[in-house]
This record gives sequence, C-alpha cells and structure tokens, in this order.
Amino acid sequence: MNYKKTVGIEVHVELKTKEKLFSPSLNLYGDLANSNANIIDLGYPGVLPTVNKEAISLAVKAAQVLNCKIRKKMHFDRKNYFYPDNPKNFQITQARTPIGYDGYVEINDAGVIKRIEIEEMHIEEDTSKSIHSKERTLLDFNRSGVPLIEIVTKPCIHTSKEATLYLEALRELLLYANISDCKIEEGSMRCDANISISKTAELGTKIEVKNIGSITNVGLAIDYEATRQEELIEKGETLKEETRRYDAKLGKTILMRVKETGNDYRYFPEPDIPYLELTDEYINKLKKEIPTLANIRRQKYLEAGISQINVEKLIANKDLSDYLETLLDINLKTTANLLLGDIQAYLNKTSKKITDTCLTQEKIKDLVKKLDEGVISHKNFKDLVIDIMETDKTIDDLLKEKGIQNVVDNSFVLDLIDKVLTENEKVVSDYLNGNERSLKFLMGQVMKESKGSVNPKVANDLLLETLKKMKNKL
Amino acid sequence: MSKYLDLSIEEIHELLLSKKIKPIDLVEEAFVRINNNELNAFITLDYEGARKMALSLEEEEVQKDNLLFGLPIAIKDNIMVNGLRCTCASHILENFISIYDASVVTLIKEYKMIIIGKTNMDEFAMGSTSETSYFKAPINPWNPKKVPGGSSGGSAVCVASRITPFALGSDTGGSIRQPASFTGIVGMKPTYGRVSRFGLVAFASSLDQIGPMTRNVYENALLLNAISKKDEKDLTSFETNEDFTRLIGKNIKDMKIAIPNYFVSSVVSLDVLKVFNDTVEILKKEGCQINYVDINHIDKAVVLYQIIAMGEASSNLARFDGIRYGLSKTEKSLDDLYKKTRSEGFGREVKRRIMVGSYILSGENAKIYYNKALQIRDDLKKSFEKIYSEYDLILGPSSSRIAYDLNNNQDDPLRGFMDDILVMHANMGGFPSMSIPMGFIDNLPIGLQIMGPMYAEAKIYQLGSYLEKKLHLNLEIGGSNEL
Repeated sequence: MNYKKTVGIEVHVELKTKEKLFSPSLNLYGDLANSNANIIDLGYPGVLPTVNKEAISLAVKAAQVLNCKIRKKMHFDRKNYFYPDNPKNFQITQARTPIGYDGYVEINDAGVIKRIEIEEMHIEEDTSKSIHSKERTLLDFNRSGVPLIEIVTKPCIHTSKEATLYLEALRELLLYANISDCKIEEGSMRCDANISISKTAELGTKIEVKNIGSITNVGLAIDYEATRQEELIEKGETLKEETRRYDAKLGKTILMRVKETGNDYRYFPEPDIPYLELTDEYINKLKKEIPTLANIRRQKYLEAGISQINVEKLIANKDLSDYLETLLDINLKTTANLLLGDIQAYLNKTSKKITDTCLTQEKIKDLVKKLDEGVISHKNFKDLVIDIMETDKTIDDLLKEKGIQNVVDNSFVLDLIDKVLTENEKVVSDYLNGNERSLKFLMGQVMKESKGSVNPKVANDLLLETLKKMKNKL
Repeated sequence: MSKYLDLSIEEIHELLLSKKIKPIDLVEEAFVRINNNELNAFITLDYEGARKMALSLEEEEVQKDNLLFGLPIAIKDNIMVNGLRCTCASHILENFISIYDASVVTLIKEYKMIIIGKTNMDEFAMGSTSETSYFKAPINPWNPKKVPGGSSGGSAVCVASRITPFALGSDTGGSIRQPASFTGIVGMKPTYGRVSRFGLVAFASSLDQIGPMTRNVYENALLLNAISKKDEKDLTSFETNEDFTRLIGKNIKDMKIAIPNYFVSSVVSLDVLKVFNDTVEILKKEGCQINYVDINHIDKAVVLYQIIAMGEASSNLARFDGIRYGLSKTEKSLDDLYKKTRSEGFGREVKRRIMVGSYILSGENAKIYYNKALQIRDDLKKSFEKIYSEYDLILGPSSSRIAYDLNNNQDDPLRGFMDDILVMHANMGGFPSMSIPMGFIDNLPIGLQIMGPMYAEAKIYQLGSYLEKKLHLNLEIGGSNEL
C-alpha cells in the first residue's frame, strides 16, 4: 500500500494599501531602507496602534473572494515572542477571531473542479526585514507593520498538482480583486507548506517547509519532502516535527530547526485596539467594489471569439486585461490581437504600463475600427505603433503625416491579385469550374504576396469581385 | 523671596495679566524651591528649557481666558516630552531621550504651560511607594521618614511641596490617588479614554490613565479641561468636550451616595476609618442620602489587578530589548544580548512582575487565569454599574492607612498591592475616581476617594469641592515653604 500525502498550505499576502496597518507610514516596497518607518513601526515606548481602514476593507474583500464567512465582531491579539525583526517583541494578529473562516477556492484539475477548503484567514502586521551578513545583521523597518493577510487551508491537499493549482488560483483571485500584488519574488506573497504522509486515515508527522520561493517550487518541495519522509519511515526512523526550507538549486529541503515543544506565544487580546464591528451594509458595499474577477473575464473573452491561448495571455497580463475592461462597444477579438501583439511588444521593450502611454480609449477604438474596416493594415499599424503610443496625434493625422493612406488603396491590392491570378492559372480555372476550395488557396497567396500588409477582408472582397468579373467574361 | 507659587492660580493669573509678574518669575521661584528641598521629586529638570519657554511667553499677550497661561507644571517621567530624557525611573531607559511629545504634552504646550521637569516614580510605575525607582527615592514632604506613595510619588511631592501648582501622573491601580492621599493633594484618575495615552509608556494598557495632580479641586478640574481631548492616535480615547468646573459650587443636598461595606471593613485601619466616618457625617448633615452597600466581586480587585496588569506589562515591556534604543549590552549571541540587557536594565520589582505576567499568559494558564480574570473584571464592572444606576457616587478612603516608613516593604511584594485595595476598582471598570485630602493622622494627610460612573468627573468635582471647602484643612506643610 502506498503512502498518502496530506498538505496544508499557509499563505501570507501583503495588502496593497497606501499606509501601514497600524501607523500612517507609507506601505512602499523598494524604498531606501528605513525611510518608511516611524516611531510606531519602530516600537518606541509610549506609541499606540491605529487601525488602517483600507486594510480592513481589503481583508473583507479577500474573505469574500475566498468564499469565507465574515466575522462581524472581531478583535486583535498579541503574539508574544522575541526576535529583532519584531520591534515590539509582540506581533499584532488575530488569533481568536480571524476575519474570515470556512471558505474555499475552486481549482480546475484536468477538467475536474475541486474545492480547496480555507480554514481561516486573518489580518496581521508584517515584521521588519533582516539582512544578514557574516559580520552582522541589519534591519529594515520599511516592512515593519505592512498589512498582511494569512490564509490557511485545511489539510485537504493530496498532490503537488493540487497545491500549485490552488496557489495559482489564489494568486489570481487576490490579484484580480486588487487586494495584493502577489509578487513572490518581492515577498508580497509567501508560501509555507505543511507536509505529512501516512498509510492510514490518521495523519503522519507534520513537517513545515517555509517561505518557498515560487509556486512551481511548492510543488517540487512537496514531492521531494514526501519522498524523503517515505524513505526515512521505510528505514524505520521516527519523524520529528520540524521546520525546513526548500533550496531550489539543490532541489532539496533543508532543516532549519526542530520544533520545540510548548512553543508558547502567550496570546492575549490587544488592549490598545477596541473591538471592530462590521455592518452588513459595509460588507455589501465592499462586495460591489470588487473588480471583475478573472474567471468572468475568461468567459467573456471566449464568447467574444478570442482564442484560448490569447485569453490566457490576457489573464496573465492583468494590466492589459484591466485596460480591456475599460473599453466598451469594441471588437474584443481585434483589440486582443492588437494588445497582445505589437502593443505588448512595445510595452515590454519600453518597460511601460499601458496606462502610461498615449493610447487613449478614442485612439484604440479608432484603430480597431479602421483595422476591421480595412482602412489600415496590421503592417501599417506596426509602422505607426511608436507614434501611436508616444504622441497625442490622432490615427488620421498620423496616416496623413506618414503618407500611408495609399498603401492600402485598392489598386495596390488589385495589382497583387492580378499577379497571383496570373501565376496560378490552373487554380483559377478550377475555381471558375466550381471548385470553391480553390478560393482559400488564392486568398492565402494574396496575403502571402502582400506580406500581411493588406486587410484580409478588403483583399477577400476584391478577389471575389475580380473572379466574378472573370466568370462573367467566360 | 517671592511666594507667588503659594497663591491660587486666579491670583497668579491676575498678576500675570497686570504684568506685575512674568512667567519667568514663576519658573525661577519653582527652581529655588526645588533647590531648597531634598525631596528627590525629579529625575530630570529642564531649567534651560523652562526659562526659554518663559522668556518666549513674554513676547505674547497673556491669554485672558486661559488661567493656565505661563504656569509651571511637572510631568511624570513615563510621559514623553520631546527632547527630554524619559527614564520611567529605570536603568534600561536611563539615557533615553524622547523624540516626540505625548499627545497630552502637546496640549500642555498649546495651553502655554511651562514644563519644568520629569518627576520621580516607581520604575515603570510598578509600586506604591516610588521606592522601586532606579534613582534616589522621593520622600514625603510632610515627614522625611515617610514615603510619598506611588507610583506617581514625584508628581505628588512636587505639588504637595508647592514647587508647581500642577503635575501629571498616571494611574494603573491607584498610582495617582494613593500618593495624592499620602501627600495631601488632589489627584484625579479620569474615565478610561478621557485623556490620550499616546506617549505614556504603557504599563497595563487597559488600565493606564493619565490624570491631573493639583493643590485643590478647582485647579484639578481646570487642568483636566486642558488635557482631555479625543486623540486620533489613541483608539481608546473618546470625544470629550465639557467644562469640568461647571458643577463646582452647586448644591449637593440631593446626592445619593453609596459606601461599599468592603471599604469600611477590617481591610481599612481604624484611624483611617475614623477620619472617613467623620467626613461622611458632614455629608449626612448636609442632607445627602447615604447607604452602605455590598458590591459583588469587590474583594477580588487585587487578584484581578495582579493577573491583568502583570500579563499586559509582560508584553508591554518586551520592547526594551537593547536593540533599537535604551540600555544595550552587546553580547556574542542574541539570547545573551536579551538576557544581559534586561537583567541589568530592569529592577527587581519590574522583573518580578514580568515573570509573573509571562507565567500567567503561558499555555493553559492564559485560560485559567487571564481569560477568567477578564470575565470577572467584566462582572465587577457590571456590579459597579448596578450601584451607579441607583447612586450618583461611591465613597471610600483612598488608602487603607497613612504613608508608611521608607524602606519598609521591599521584601513583601504583596504589601504594596494591599495598600491599593480600595482604588483598583476604578481602573478595572474604567471609572473616574479622585482623591482629596480628608484629614490628618499623626500629622500625615489621608485622602478620601470619590468614585463615579463613566464620564462623571464633573459630579465628582462637585462633591470634592464641597467637602474641600467644608473641611477647610490647612495643607501648608509646616516650614517647607519658608524660602
């Protein structure tokens, strides 16, 4: 009989607030060390916490997208432990009244929809960042007091695939609900996995792998760890509860510390923060503010005829998807092609966000219209992309300025068609004799000759017209 | 030598308004008085800062309706004053200089009061004699062999010896009222949340409250007017906008007053009881309705205090670790750094309380002790509220005995708590409570405690002021003011 893996996952996510959880310092990643730290973040004597309402509202939204029940009356607790990155030597968290509980996240495991159950999610403050060198340890308090939510699953995950699918789904939900950046590499999303194996219904010894550097690595760490545990058990060894880390280079988990018994955080209710009460009205108002989530967008894109591959590309690039969300009454398919093609290439090259460019709604609407109507070709667009993105000039002005209107005039296309028809006499006569399929080939040749610079719809119409004329002549 | 500081503040204000004196005269006089005494009332004096402030006030018009303008005040050394040392009477913060003003200090400065220094206290406000101070302990100006009480002992001494008319104290389990009682001054612990705690070094956050310590009731109400304000930086503070002097002088005839049987039981010494009963007689004669009542859980306050205050303290004092500020003993390992810094930095009583507090919150103990204590605290509050639904105020002695000898109770950790047995209920419930002098025993003053329901400070001042006038005690300390 085989061992069964059981995994529970804890994820810490930094909330995208302007200010910190308990102080008015700015919540900004990447600033000069200790430039966003005030006396509260540094745990000075005499200071008191205030509660950032934006953080609470984001946590309520998170609870909603994770399908959690929301606690209407809650308090904060102090978790007491000594460590230099913990300036008060207690962390303000929610041990007894987590804001959300009994939720779930749906995953699609090869076509099978599964629910990963969420035990609870609570709000807490981040610690400062320790920067270790051989000589000494430096502390950056910019992170101290940044709002976090910790999301804890039930031990209901049994494969590494489920784990990675869960994390991807979770990340997508929080990202699209505008709750967090979820950047693992910047530490705004941090994953810990509790892994045990057992042959029976009773769970085995739990080993925690902390702060795994990517979603893929969570899967790898789970599989490595399960195998390691199995080998040890087969050797007759008894596992001890311990905390390990995953070394991605070695592809191994490495022991950090054995868990001491009676790890005692001396929790008690934070006396400096009164109970927080959430009204139904407030909760409902926040629900309405949640932006359209990825799954709804996916469906909409597919219905608009965007290819599966492009749909996933759009979802993976939230900026582009958000941009698309702002556009109404537009051909989504053409727009998606534009965005994912030359526009994305331009953005990548210039490291710009689409909202930082001169591509206004009017402009992109005009572009899509002109492309659909064959007024301009993709090739024209390619030539114009920098001007479109970097100047305030209208598309018409640009076309005039560059003198490219004529490129798409019909005589150019007709010349191409003539050339193709002359070179493919046999196919033409097939067509004229009733072989409809030949049209597709001829059309393909026209597009090939034009190197994609003509509008397919225009070319198709002109080709049909020419062939009709030939037929009539017969 | 001038004796302006013996005048009432209205009289001083008149002198300032008519330009007969300047704020600097008051500052100079305060410092002469400090230098003429060896009371150890202060840990840090700010002569230069006070002079500078006084001189700068000469550039301004004396504010006509601000009776506090230009008056000197002393601040307990657990309240932050920007640029001044804030030691909490502890070695661990011996050289800690504050980089910000407590919200209450901001208000003091807005009222143009002149801070002359930081007063002595029990280390981190833990004690009831001020003897746990790392610095030389303050002494009672009424009798140099006696303690002034604590933990706000230095502030009490400062006001009692008329160095300043005003001082700020803090009260977690009687730390304003008990020293007020021992030194013959008026000390108010306001309703929890009335005065912002931002900038008060926390001892037990759910019990701590800053309050005024003054020579008389009226001046106390005036200072409370100045320092009570809702503060966005303290979530437990509340909207407060009232004149606490407004009921002073009003008839007290119809007041209904409850005296808990516990407050006149054998926990109180007989000589204190006698003075208390004499005071109650005055009120009876005036026509107040006075009843003796039983209050559920009233005898449990000390136990609750020990559990809740020490639990919270063990967490509040964790930040003093030698890493970011304060005393730091650099060692090879992190654990050694913590151990050495904290064992050298904290005194015996503080360490004792941190140990007890940590134990109380550990593992299952949190359920057995701490959570249970919170429940009973809630019940205790409710049983007081029940009394307040029928009575205006509750009366009792402020302390069960008069000030005791210096160096007397160092080896009995429980003794100090037992002395605060009558004053902790107000902290447990968040109720306002004031001590005013009610008489003398062996030439030492003893205080009366007037406790009221939430937000009832004005009513407490009303009764306090009536009794103060009626008792007309001579609170000038013999000889100590002869300058």
